[in-house]
Order: sequence, then C-alpha cells, then structure tokens
Amino acid sequence: MATENLQGSNAWVLALDHRWFAAIGERELVHLVETPTLLEVPTCPYFCRSVLAWNDRLLPAIDLAAWLQQQPRVDHHWKLAGIVAYQPAPGVMPDYGALLLADIPERLPVTDAQACPLPEQPPGWRELALSCFRRGEDAIPILDLPYLFTGGLLTR
Amino acid sequence: MNRPARTTLAELRNIRVFARLSLDGHSWLLPQTEVCALESTLDIDREVQAPHSIGAIALGGEWWPVYCLSGELQRLLQMPGSRRACILLDNGADRFSLVCDQVETLAEAPHLLALPACMGALDSPIQALALLDSKLGCVTTTEHLAALLAAFEEGTGGH
Repeated sequence: MATENLQGSNAWVLALDHRWFAAIGERELVHLVETPTLLEVPTCPYFCRSVLAWNDRLLPAIDLAAWLQQQPRVDHHWKLAGIVAYQPAPGVMPDYGALLLADIPERLPVTDAQACPLPEQPPGWRELALSCFRRGEDAIPILDLPYLFTGGLLTR
Repeated sequence: MNRPARTTLAELRNIRVFARLSLDGHSWLLPQTEVCALESTLDIDREVQAPHSIGAIALGGEWWPVYCLSGELQRLLQMPGSRRACILLDNGADRFSLVCDQVETLAEAPHLLALPACMGALDSPIQALALLDSKLGCVTTTEHLAALLAAFEEGTGGH
C-alpha cells in the first residue's frame, strides 16, 4: 500500500496538471514515457479514453486532472505518462497502468510528521486518495492506485 | 433488453478470422462468421424503415434494417458521405446491417487483450482490444451491437 511506503520513506510527487499534484509510493512508479503515443479507445469514459502500448501490454491512460474537474481535456498533447504498478487485490499479481502527467515527477522523502488532512477542493480528492501529506504549503494527496485502475472512478 | 454477457478473451481468441469495420477512423472488429454479406450503400431502400434505422436492404427475399452508427457507436440520423459499404450481420439470433466507411477481412487473427476495468469494461460494447499495425482495433460482436441498437429503441441510450 502506498501509505506504508510513505512512512519515513520516499514518494514521487506527480504533476496531474499545472494546479494539482498527487503522490504515489516510490516503488509504484516504474517507468516514464516522454510524449506518449496514445491510442484512442471509442466509447470509453472521458478521463480514460486512451491506451498506451508498453511491453506487449495496452495500459489504460488515466487523466486524473480531467476527472477532478469533471470534464474532458481539450488539449491532448501530453508531455509525459507515468507507468505505475499496483496490486489489484491481495495475493494477486501486480498490474500496470498509466497516469498522464504535466511535468517530471519529483522524488522526495516523506515522514509521518507531514501527515495532514485532504484538501476540501476539488471534492474528488476524497475518492482518489488514501491519505495526504504536507509539502511546504501544499497538501499532496496519496493516490489509491488499485481503486483508480480497477474501475473505482466509474461510479461517480 | 438484457445486457448480453461479456464474451471472454478465451472465446474471442478461438476466433480465427475477423472483419474490420472502419467508422470515422475507428476500427471495429467482428467475427467474420457473423458477416453474411457486403452490399453497396446504393442498394439501401430508404422508404423501408425500422425504428432508428436509415432504411433497409433486401437480401434473400427479406428486408434487413440498416443502421448508421458513428465511430463512438452513437446513432446517426444522417449517413455521412464517407459511408460506402453496407455490412449485413447475422449471428442466428440478431440480423441487421450497418453502413461503414470500409470493410476488410484481417489476414491474420490479431493478438487480443482485455479492455481494462477502469475503461468501463463491464458496460462496454468493446469485448477486447487489438493492436493492428500500431493502430487500435476494438472487438465487438453482433450480439453486443444488437443490444446497443435495442437500447436506442428503448431510449436508454446504449453504452
């Protein structure tokens, strides 16, 4: 779990766009793809409308910023995709997905002393995040990757 | 109409030949065994209408309703000028026709991959994905398209 990884260890802070940042555990980010080639999948939800070919897999590419603002993004030129690993359920082999990013992730140490409440706005953070820590004046939610990639976002 | 059960990857991987339907730049793949015939859009009789169809086409002494769907599988009332082929689909239970920009038979069975859960796999007409020369193909079946068309008729909007 991401929260366990973050207790006195390192996290990756991801730029979901120029406003919103979120974190995942150090070991959850496995690869970065610059200017990813995304393949559009018709009929899919606005926040996950494309897949990324990676290592003989087709990974769903989630635009969390679009989901947080509840509307599709107009600009489709992504600078980066972060390939993340998550465990869909206990005892199950890890699976992979992609998060669309606006900038290079920042690695930083995090301790329990930095724990803080989740931001109230946008309200979607409460659904996406397991917990939160403070970086300067910013609250950085820690993403629940299994929830994101196993269909949790479809319920809203 | 009840939502049809998802077709498993194992079932789809047993299908050797797929037809590729081009709709507005999107590629939809259907089992070739469900393709009954290919006709010209010039053969559509627009006076013969089933609900939500754009006309009908005569084959074997029967009328087959013809539907026009976008690449996103939304119902179109006006047929785009790019639609040239009319594919007649029959799985033994459902029988109808779709207008397409292009229809071809894939020379080789593509490697199929599951639609990820976060992309709405439970409700989607997409039963699997396939990489086709660095482009994407979406696998569906006549049964799932028929369910979509039935949802239009019931006013529930489909996927």
